[in-house]
Amino acid sequence: MRTEPEKRLDPRAKLLWRLTGALQAVPILAGGAFASYVFAGQVPIYLALLPLLAAAALNVLFVLVLPPLLWRRWRYEIRSLEVDLQRGLLRVTRTLVPMARVQHVDTRHGPLQRRLGLSTVVFYTAAGPNEIPQLAQKTAAEVRDRIAELTQSRDEL
Amino acid sequence: MNSSAPASSREQHLHPIGMLLEALQTLRRWFGVAAFPGIAALINGEFGVRILLFVLLGVALLGILSAVWGVLSWRATSYLVSGGALHLKRGVFQKSERSLPLEHVQSVSSVQGIVQRLFDVVEVRVETAGGGGEPEISLSALSRSDAEALREELTSTRRASLEDFEEPAPAVLRRLSVRDLLLAGLTSGQIGIAASVVLGASQTVDQLLPRNLAKQISEALLPQTVWAALLLVLAIVVFAWVLAILGTVLAHANFTLSRSVDGKYLHIKRGLLKRYEATVPLARIQAIKIVEGVLRQPFGLATLRVESAGFGAEEGVSTTLFPLLPRKKVEKLLRATAPRFAGPLDDLKPLPARARRRYAFRAVLPVLPISAFCAVFYFLPGLVSLLVMLPAALYGLLRYRAAGRRLDGDRLVLRFRRLARTTVILPGERLQSRGYSVSPLQRRNELATLEVEVASGRGGVAFRLVDLEAEMAGNLVEALAERGSRAASQERYSV
Repeated sequence: MRTEPEKRLDPRAKLLWRLTGALQAVPILAGGAFASYVFAGQVPIYLALLPLLAAAALNVLFVLVLPPLLWRRWRYEIRSLEVDLQRGLLRVTRTLVPMARVQHVDTRHGPLQRRLGLSTVVFYTAAGPNEIPQLAQKTAAEVRDRIAELTQSRDEL
Repeated sequence: MNSSAPASSREQHLHPIGMLLEALQTLRRWFGVAAFPGIAALINGEFGVRILLFVLLGVALLGILSAVWGVLSWRATSYLVSGGALHLKRGVFQKSERSLPLEHVQSVSSVQGIVQRLFDVVEVRVETAGGGGEPEISLSALSRSDAEALREELTSTRRASLEDFEEPAPAVLRRLSVRDLLLAGLTSGQIGIAASVVLGASQTVDQLLPRNLAKQISEALLPQTVWAALLLVLAIVVFAWVLAILGTVLAHANFTLSRSVDGKYLHIKRGLLKRYEATVPLARIQAIKIVEGVLRQPFGLATLRVESAGFGAEEGVSTTLFPLLPRKKVEKLLRATAPRFAGPLDDLKPLPARARRRYAFRAVLPVLPISAFCAVFYFLPGLVSLLVMLPAALYGLLRYRAAGRRLDGDRLVLRFRRLARTTVILPGERLQSRGYSVSPLQRRNELATLEVEVASGRGGVAFRLVDLEAEMAGNLVEALAERGSRAASQERYSV
């Protein structure tokens, strides 16, 4: 319990987050560029370039800096009595979900995830869904089946 | 009508009053649409005999059509309990047929509106389990005996062993006295809401009245002096207060909490004009909250609320279990009502002293930029605005003082304050998840936020205790794990 959960997400998660970050980058850069363009005639050039630079910095953050940090933090562990999750960039959250409370479990993947061979495990309690994102598809299937099996055996008690 | 026939043998129609109810509802719906042009015409002053005739004709036509619709939809609506399911047919043009498996039935409650009361029929509402996204079923008019028969049948699967057993009347646990009812209204703290209603209404009146008249009235009424202004404010407050009391009286008059003899169901009856009756299965109660409002805490009064799963149509539904009682009597009432939740509610373990600063700071934080802004731009009033930070900090300290927790066995008690001081009782086996989070600033102080989730309505609610010792948060989560899993294997509910 004191030690962190032992399993990590698939390393390709970083790539996926970089790609989604890059997709977000386009509108942010466009916004920054537009702001710079509007200011260009009115203020000194170094001031006018500020919005563009800020947008660029934001993108560097989203694409280069954050994904590895997120990945390093995200951990999970499937134990016989509970699922143990740890995540969060600045605020680190640790959540334990008792197996006995899990109602059903899915895997799902979006188009980008499919390309990279990644998949998200979603398991539901009466209070709502919990996710373990970005696992290799094979691992995700194993995790899903393991959770299903464990909740089943709890039912037979 | 066919009240003598058992509901299971054949399809049953609603009580004929259902026609009237449906007609009234249709009328009301269309009346809203028709009212706009009507009022517009009136205000424009085009008020000839011809128009009046038109309006009357329209109203008559609307009435007749509604009546026909009422009859048709009554004819099209029928229900039947057979094969372990409730079957409901309805729809005049678009026919629909729904089957609701009895094991999905969460609770059966009955409501009496004014019309229903006039004819002594009840509306029966069948609430279903969450997950499937099924809406509740409502049968607008059943005779009392039919309603009772239906309730029997819908809940008989749960009580199969008691089938031949004539159910004795449930034991009344507590009734709300008239004195407490008025007290509840006085301290309900809904003055704010009522005041905004009053102000809103006065503005609407302003707009509706002809301009000259409004001007005259406002000249006559509007305060000429400071004292008159104060008087006006006072009048509004008193009026709003009276409204708040009325609201409470309407909703909570004759509040009666009772428990079925088998101890599995709680019955709540309340309401003055509109009578409301609900059945809450004890096994569905996820958490009980003791809410001490700002106006109630000084008098040692509290409200009891329950978070109940799959009960009610919305997410995060919480129902009033009892509107007002002395805090000292809560434990005793809980022992009689829901023994699983009963236990000591005081002597909570407070937060560590190093959390105090953080609570005060958090409360001041939203005020700070405003004050700073004022101070920069308008020096003197800005300095005065800094004084606002004092009550903010005080509020933070009050929140700090209210916060605490205790763990008895696997019964977790959390207490915190927003405005009202709220104490939540959470049995370990009802926690859908539990955990803690640590922000960077908390890490520096070795603090954490405890967070537990229970099911409620169709979703869940989370309860948080901010800034307890990080180590304690870990210990609590761990302790609940052991006990929770043990309890879970002994006693399992279907949630």
